[in-house]
Amino acid sequence: MRNHPRDEAHVARCADCQARWGLAALDVDLDRVWSGVAAEAWASPVGRVERLAGRLLGSPGLARALVNTPSLVLSWILASALVLGIGVMVTRQTEQPWVALLAPALAGIAISYAYGPGVDPAWELSQTMAVSDRQVLLVRVFAVFGLNMVLGLVASLGAAQAVGITLGWLAPMAMVSALALAAATTAKSANVGVAIGLAGWAIAVLASGRGTEDAAAAVSRPALVPVYLAFALAGVGLTLWSMSGSRSTGGVTWR
Amino acid sequence: MAVIEVTAARNVEVQGLSQKFGRTEVLHGLDLEVGQGVFGLLGPNGAGKTTLLRTLATILRPGRGSVRLLGFDVTHAGEKRALRRRLGYLPQSLGYYPNFTVFEFIEYFALLKEMPSREVRPAVVRAIERVGLEEKAKSKLRTLSGGMLRRVGIAQAIVNEPDLLLLDEPTAGLDPEQRVGFRRLLREMGASGTVIVSTHLVEDVGAACTEVALMERGGILFRGAPDDLVARGEGSEVGDSPLERGYSSVLAAARV
Repeated sequence: MRNHPRDEAHVARCADCQARWGLAALDVDLDRVWSGVAAEAWASPVGRVERLAGRLLGSPGLARALVNTPSLVLSWILASALVLGIGVMVTRQTEQPWVALLAPALAGIAISYAYGPGVDPAWELSQTMAVSDRQVLLVRVFAVFGLNMVLGLVASLGAAQAVGITLGWLAPMAMVSALALAAATTAKSANVGVAIGLAGWAIAVLASGRGTEDAAAAVSRPALVPVYLAFALAGVGLTLWSMSGSRSTGGVTWR
Repeated sequence: MAVIEVTAARNVEVQGLSQKFGRTEVLHGLDLEVGQGVFGLLGPNGAGKTTLLRTLATILRPGRGSVRLLGFDVTHAGEKRALRRRLGYLPQSLGYYPNFTVFEFIEYFALLKEMPSREVRPAVVRAIERVGLEEKAKSKLRTLSGGMLRRVGIAQAIVNEPDLLLLDEPTAGLDPEQRVGFRRLLREMGASGTVIVSTHLVEDVGAACTEVALMERGGILFRGAPDDLVARGEGSEVGDSPLERGYSSVLAAARV
């Protein structure tokens, strides 16, 4: 070993020297090692919700799109819960079912801000992805609607509402959500979606509440469910049509 | 003995493509076949370059005609999904999510391209290195300059090593040194796939493209090598460079 040269080229090919200097055979892809180190340093950790969503949906991309829904961020959820909480307190004091009136409106607003060119600055790029915009739409709308439904149900129970009124706003919620989504995607503006959704809900409340003091009960009547569902289906149809690639996108400014 | 004709694979096959916006026909019966290499699209504003790229990027459905990319029919949903996994696209105006970091933004689109999970993070690292943004990998996008954001856009377009890369004005906002690096990147990508780059900068075309097309009013006026475009400008005095003179000459001839 005394006569072995101590240069890099020799050490790299001499097993005795490597053993002597404590060097293992350098059979490592250093580029891969560096990539791994850099990824660990640069990447943000994946949250539990996203990991669970990825397993349930079978798509990490779809899960990432879901957790980045604007109306599913914690601050939004807390704000919705706060509004419904105020509705619960007012309901208990006035014995008017305010939760039944608030829940569909909140859902419509949340749906408008769930998806579409109005809320997605990278919308054009998103339309070229293997995870299609329809998949993202479906997952986000399902999640946002479901969350708002749960919040509304909890609020209704908290307000000690009658079961009929508790569940009666589900169909109106579907209608308002579908109208808001259709307007948001057609006009490429979340604000337009909010406006149309709330306007539609206001019209429904005022029209069905005429001649009665209990507008919430009037608007939740079972006889109106087919009407709500028909409008909801129309909204879904309009949404799907506006998303189809046959519509031109040139010259449109995303808002 | 049978003669076997070998033709280079055409990654882009467009036949009779027409696109309308309202009553305005933006593309008129356009035919285009592009194989491996870097293909430049030149043309004045309103020529239809962005509409063509959006159609190739599967954002717009073909109004009339047929489009086949990498052997896939873009009008079939299943084939479109498979195509998009091998596609990279940089739009002219790239929106971004201000609170995402550089790494998060590129990783997000790598996931949406359905890259295998294990390959995503190493691929994002490579893409960031290729555009020279290592020092900004953890920076929020809202803190970046316009040129840096453009490089982020390029990185997300190349993260999946696409077989078909579509770039709309990719060098907007890049300084000259960055443009040199970008042209090198284009040549690398073109060595193994098809790159179509739309640009107003004729020097980008001359330096990086193996072939160039000049569009106007929805059609292709010229197609050939950059040297052929230069040859068309011989004797012309309109333009500050040989390519510009060729560009101007072709347009002038078409407008007579």
